[in-house]
Amino acid sequence: MIGLIVLSIFITLIVLSILIIINEDLPHSVILFMGFGLGSVILYFLFSAPDVALTEAVIGTGISGVIFLVTLLQIRSKEIRK
Amino acid sequence: MSLKKDIRVHTIFVSLVVSIMIILLLSLFLNFELASDTLGTQILNLNSGETETANAVTSVVTYFRGFDTLGEVTILFLSIFGIGLGLEGYKDKLNIFAYENQLLKIAVDVLFPLIIMFGFYIIIHGHLSPGGGFQGGVVIASAFLLMFLAKDDEFSLNHKIISLAEALSGVGFILLGLLGVLLLDRFLGNFLPLGSMGNLFSGGLIPLIYIFVGIKVSAEITALVEYFVRIKDVR
Repeated sequence: MIGLIVLSIFITLIVLSILIIINEDLPHSVILFMGFGLGSVILYFLFSAPDVALTEAVIGTGISGVIFLVTLLQIRSKEIRK
Repeated sequence: MSLKKDIRVHTIFVSLVVSIMIILLLSLFLNFELASDTLGTQILNLNSGETETANAVTSVVTYFRGFDTLGEVTILFLSIFGIGLGLEGYKDKLNIFAYENQLLKIAVDVLFPLIIMFGFYIIIHGHLSPGGGFQGGVVIASAFLLMFLAKDDEFSLNHKIISLAEALSGVGFILLGLLGVLLLDRFLGNFLPLGSMGNLFSGGLIPLIYIFVGIKVSAEITALVEYFVRIKDVR
């Protein structure tokens, strides 16, 4: 059962990473990147590494995603004001 | 004439020092006995006698590899310092072309103390359950990130308190390590009573180290988030 879950998460992560690369809308791909972080959190937890899962949940899904989004929005709002 | 003499003395001195160091290293390596067990089982065996932490990962991070943790904290500090040097002049209010979110504004009042409390819980229980200084510090910083996004005009950080907390926690970490050198001939030597495994007050020095690391990391990541969220003008 756990093997099936792990396999499906692996396939989801591969599909997500391809989507992140080929997406042309940058904020959209940042949100997909946060989804990638969420999937890897589940993987770390299933592979009995809860410390790394906690770190990835806060850093990979939360702070780095928000920093990417904020930077993108700032650049975009400057372009709009021009 | 004199220049040549200087150079010759210099090279002789350097080669002497290098050869002495090579001899020291060789003698160390030749006297070093290879363990029959792997390092992991050795550390786990030591864990029950020397550190008494329920979460063995913590005792590796803060005790057996405590000096490495000091290096990591230094790397984090230097990277935040570099970001601050680059972005110092551009700091201003939140500058995003977006509508205010009333829902977030009201929810953050409830969520902010809860997230802070959860972060401190993770820091303090680092030696009992998964988590620790770094993870808990980042959770606290994410609470401040939420505050920046929701209440930009009303909320402002006190920079003196943040830099004071960061500096004091770093100095405290190093002082604890040096005290261990003085008392037990080992950096971060565990000179406090160990207690029994599984209690909140157990593990000797390890909860103290994690509290210092947690305060330092939370202050640094909060400063980083503020630098990125409040950029006045992107070049």
